[in-house]
Amino acid sequence: MEPTRSPMIHQPRTLNELSLLFQRIEKPLLWAGGTYLMSKSEYYPSSSNRQIIDLAEIEELKRINRTDRYIDIGSMVNASSLLSAGKLILPSILKSALGSIIGHITRRQITIGGSVCEPESRVAFSTALSVLDAQAEIRQWEDGRFTATWIPVNRLYDKDGSLLLRNTAFVLTKIRLGLEWGDFQRFVLIDNPIRKPDTAILVAFQATRNQTALTKVRFSASFPKKAFYISPELENQLSLLSFPVHPDRVNSISYEMVHDLTNRHESITEFQAERTRRVFESFLHELNIQTLS
Amino acid sequence: MLIEDVGVKSMLSHCRGKACGNCIVLVNDVAVLSCIVPAFRLKDAKIRTFETFQRTRLCRDIERAYRATGNKPCPDCYPSKTLLIESILTELMSSTRSREEGTVDEKAIMQELSLNTCPCMDATELLAITIQAFEYRRRRRGTN
Repeated sequence: MEPTRSPMIHQPRTLNELSLLFQRIEKPLLWAGGTYLMSKSEYYPSSSNRQIIDLAEIEELKRINRTDRYIDIGSMVNASSLLSAGKLILPSILKSALGSIIGHITRRQITIGGSVCEPESRVAFSTALSVLDAQAEIRQWEDGRFTATWIPVNRLYDKDGSLLLRNTAFVLTKIRLGLEWGDFQRFVLIDNPIRKPDTAILVAFQATRNQTALTKVRFSASFPKKAFYISPELENQLSLLSFPVHPDRVNSISYEMVHDLTNRHESITEFQAERTRRVFESFLHELNIQTLS
Repeated sequence: MLIEDVGVKSMLSHCRGKACGNCIVLVNDVAVLSCIVPAFRLKDAKIRTFETFQRTRLCRDIERAYRATGNKPCPDCYPSKTLLIESILTELMSSTRSREEGTVDEKAIMQELSLNTCPCMDATELLAITIQAFEYRRRRRGTN
């Protein structure tokens, strides 16, 4: 067997050093936690000649800051430290999403930025962050310098869940979460997205209960390597409901949701669609119970 | 690198994206999946594979638990499952409540154990081994 040629590795310590590297290197490969490789079958041996920039030494990307209005999470914060450092300040939906990642071992390696920037597949972080109206600070490399912009996490992906910026030179530096969350938050993951992508679903829902009505409704469903579903129409429809909702109406809304979902994303299996419908339905039943109790 | 250059025999060849959890090693005494840790992250790190771990007293606790429960993993996943159990024991021992009262969150342990996908044992058997090994570890630390 021919020996594998090692690519050139760069380990900048600051964002300034990173920008100098972007100046010198064409299309560098940014290395965050490396967990993306868990789902890749042909990553080794690699024939790629791309130079690698390891982001692990940049302290600015490892900070968690909280102000009166928001929390900023550096892109190189891993799931494990986020869970332990932010237990009291994180919304429950994000804690559930972090907890759904199998094992301390994986949680220590997976970074929030790496997960959000996975090129093809949306998993726990992105699904939860999209219903929290999280924003991502993106520094795009244009005309020899970084230009920073804030982009809502749910606008980073196309309808199949692929990263829209995948062919752009950029670095995600932080994720910003506002502190006004809904009082009803649910995150459900069924099956392992890496091991069983054809049956796995990830569903996130949040809303604020206002007597019998819902406000700030957000719903998102992800299907690994297939679809990233958000529907403002559905969210509006749910905002117009008056709880408790008759079980027949809950049933019909859930079928309307699935109809819309499968129309937009033909690659989703019937099994995944039915699973999503039932999870969605369970949220509405739970809201009914809470209204009545 | 561990398989090809160092000649480690306790690990299988990589699973090609199936997240099998069969390549666990200890880096600075912390369990990691070696398939996703690049060499450039390991400067000055102390890497312990199962070959060296099995010579330690820590491994005795887990081997005793295998014997006590009458169950042990198959040869393919024995190294990784043992190191996985060790990483759970380390977490449990770092929690004051678990260490002093011997309480464990079985659901969380089951989730941890599911990182290894080898089907040679069912989850309840592995859970029993882990709880038993934890008991041995607590007793041993208590007598130290």
